[in-house]
Amino acid sequence: MKKILKNILDWLELKVSYADLRFVQTEKENIEVENGILSSYNVSTNRGVGIRVLADGAWGFAASNNLDEASLQETAAKALDIARASALTKKEDIRLAHEDKHIDTYITPIAKNPFQINPAEKIDLLVKATKMMLKDRVKKSEGSFSFYKTHKIFISTEGSALEQTIFESGGGMAAYAIGEGDFQKRSYPSSFGGDYATRGYEFIEEMNLLENAERTAEEANQLLAAPPAPEGITDIVLGGSQLALQVHESCGHPAELDRALGKEISYGGGSFLTLDKLNNFTYGSPEVTIVADATVPGGLGTFGYDDEGVPASKSYLVNKGKFVGYLMSREDAFKLGLKSNGAARAENWNRIPLVRMTNINLLPGNLELNKLIGEIKKGLYLDYNKSWSIDDRRINFQFGTEIAREIKNGKLGKIYKNAVYQGITPEFWKSCDGISSEKYWHVWGVPNCGKGQPDQGMHVAHGTSPARFRKVKVGASK
Amino acid sequence: MKDISSGKELVNKIKSFIKNYDFEIIASEGKSELTRFAESYIHQNVAETNLNLIVKVINEDRIGAVEMNSIDDHTIAKNIEKAIEVTKIAPKLDYHYQLLKPQSYKIKSKYSKDTANFNPLNRAQLVSQLIKEVNKRGYEAAGAFKTEESTLLVANSEGVFAFDRGTKVDFNCVITRDNSTAHTSFIDSDINNFNIDKITDELLLTALKNVEQIEIDPGIYTVILSPEAVSEILNYTGYTAFNGKTIMEGKSFVCHNQGKKIFPETITLSDDPFNELTMPIPFDMVGYPREKTDLIKNGVIKDGVYDHLTALKYNKKCTGNTLPPEHTSFGAIPFNLVMKEGSNSVEEMISSTKKGIYISRFHYVNILNPMSVQLTGMTRDGTFLIENGKIVRAIKNMRFNASVIDMLKAVDMISKERQTKPGSIGPAVTPYLRTNNFTFSSKTSF
Repeated sequence: MKKILKNILDWLELKVSYADLRFVQTEKENIEVENGILSSYNVSTNRGVGIRVLADGAWGFAASNNLDEASLQETAAKALDIARASALTKKEDIRLAHEDKHIDTYITPIAKNPFQINPAEKIDLLVKATKMMLKDRVKKSEGSFSFYKTHKIFISTEGSALEQTIFESGGGMAAYAIGEGDFQKRSYPSSFGGDYATRGYEFIEEMNLLENAERTAEEANQLLAAPPAPEGITDIVLGGSQLALQVHESCGHPAELDRALGKEISYGGGSFLTLDKLNNFTYGSPEVTIVADATVPGGLGTFGYDDEGVPASKSYLVNKGKFVGYLMSREDAFKLGLKSNGAARAENWNRIPLVRMTNINLLPGNLELNKLIGEIKKGLYLDYNKSWSIDDRRINFQFGTEIAREIKNGKLGKIYKNAVYQGITPEFWKSCDGISSEKYWHVWGVPNCGKGQPDQGMHVAHGTSPARFRKVKVGASK
Repeated sequence: MKDISSGKELVNKIKSFIKNYDFEIIASEGKSELTRFAESYIHQNVAETNLNLIVKVINEDRIGAVEMNSIDDHTIAKNIEKAIEVTKIAPKLDYHYQLLKPQSYKIKSKYSKDTANFNPLNRAQLVSQLIKEVNKRGYEAAGAFKTEESTLLVANSEGVFAFDRGTKVDFNCVITRDNSTAHTSFIDSDINNFNIDKITDELLLTALKNVEQIEIDPGIYTVILSPEAVSEILNYTGYTAFNGKTIMEGKSFVCHNQGKKIFPETITLSDDPFNELTMPIPFDMVGYPREKTDLIKNGVIKDGVYDHLTALKYNKKCTGNTLPPEHTSFGAIPFNLVMKEGSNSVEEMISSTKKGIYISRFHYVNILNPMSVQLTGMTRDGTFLIENGKIVRAIKNMRFNASVIDMLKAVDMISKERQTKPGSIGPAVTPYLRTNNFTFSSKTSF
């Protein structure tokens, strides 16, 4: 394959100002179990080549699953035609921020290759866990695992030649307590499919699904009988899983430079973090420091190089409350006179790299969890996302959680259902006055971040530990 | 073999590898091209050719599925071997899996040779024309323009053989000048129905009104929803409330309201592949013929849509809404939502509104409470205050938290005009609606 790619690149070299070729092959195993019965077992293999060219100062991209040299030559010619068509509307030539030539390989370090674990063992674990959750009003339980092995080859006219093999493992389970006219879901270890990481099967083993099955079902049953969360303005503590979603929607997306430049305005929307705010805007309280870090071991957004051949890096988006940086591609970084921080990622061979999140982490504070909660007289502890919505500049948000716990005189109390909280992004982050310590910090894998047209799903992550926010508007869905 | 155009040959090949087991296959291939523009230039411009083959092996109520995007003998044989292995270790289903018998199909996808041959330069020329026109009025344009040709083959070892070919044009655009914005979308099978002049005029008409927005307080309002906004609301309702699997599991409001008249007589909603404004596919992903399914008829809750597996498990009739194996656990969703037209013109709906809000479009809609179908989301790209029968001002965007059930109960006017708008799988056909019960819970700053 490498020889064919090199031949195509050589053919393109004299016709373009820049080109890169990406071969991607993905193996995926997906297992889904409901009420102790295997409902779906899918294994997939997918491979192809994407060819991106800069010609006449504009972009063209074509991709094909036909991997013989003649087909790929046609694909390269198509990419050139597309670039020339793009040039019809260009305002100025596309320029890329400088990047050194890189020749390297990267393999996700794993302890247990998930594809070498007998499928029967994986199915059996989910069968047992989902059966254990069928207690009282829990009439439906589900569990799933997904494993990926992605092999990527990247070569460019700048001389970079990179090869990466990335392993990902993840999964989780959920219990549904169903009553007359209501049902309540409780998930573990996180909602919407569980938790994911660039790790091997050891990540699944460390989830301790069986040890958590009964408690998960019990909480689902408790939720069904629980009152709705009270309405009002109150202090809240967000648990790590919900805080990951909060970081994702209200910091990760608005910090994408392509959104700030208006490139996503017709679909995902823009960003309130406009260019004039860089280094000139108070995003949150001094407690709040948020980094983009594609080097965190095991993070679902961890890799060796992004899909433009830029090395994984750590950079600050928010430093002690000040907005200091964007997630960037080479093209967008050039517009700010900066270098890319390695955030251009493509879902697969048939998609172009877009500015995407990597691991967007809220750095831990220094508080013990009991102190974080203990300093609240009256409030709510909210965790596990259930619903999310935010406006097209990422200012007005409303999130719902699976579970809420009353906080009364510094102690956790009764359970509430259907909790939602609302806010305005910078006001909300300015109200953060405490973050729990590294002891509670975990990198939550999010395998379903959507962006772009055509749609691209991305695997990202968020390191968080529970944090406290003052005077937040809360209520319940009806 | 490099493509699936010789469908029977592919089926025979798979049969030869699988030998004695039952099987189902879904094969698709296509060419998809998309031109994306923002800040009035084409910034992303892509083309893709790909195919996908899913083989499901069925061995005494044990199922294993494999998926691949290359169909050489070696790849197919290796993957089928994996699927057979899985059926030997998987626990049995808790119901008997029956394969569908051969069917006949009454409809075909719409196909346009001109759409299939539309090229990047053709798309760039139309985009360029739109950009020039809106630039003259000080607006920037952003959007996506997709043309697509696709082939679908569904077959099984019982002799089901369903083959179809279709084309699609999918266009959306937002124009912006400071806080003045407007949006439009277009979906059709035939590029010859795409009128860039009409689209440009529509965008400018809305945008030029959407200026100097004022803030209004959250609360319960009378609203007029555009067909785009109605489509968005109904698509969420379709997948959460009218999914046969959630009904059978007791997780939908439909299970406690079937046969009850809870909406006005004028509300009729169906999944209807035969409607002339929609873009149907002739069969679902096991080859079951698509058919019309009433979801709400004259205000009465009827039933949901059912996939093959849910229908087998719960002894229901499949309605031709089976999804691919990777979405098996989800159940089914309506493919072609169609809301029955009313008798009013849009002008009548506005002129008879004393105080209300016109909503062009929603953003980031999500489900708050699946049982009450309470949704949340923001307005976007043109929200207007109506007073004394006239659109008087543009207003800043608002967040709604509204139950679709309550909203539909309070519908008092439906337009005669219906439009084809993007849906979950196929497009939805929706009118303008006026409802007197729509709750805004908060506002934003633009």
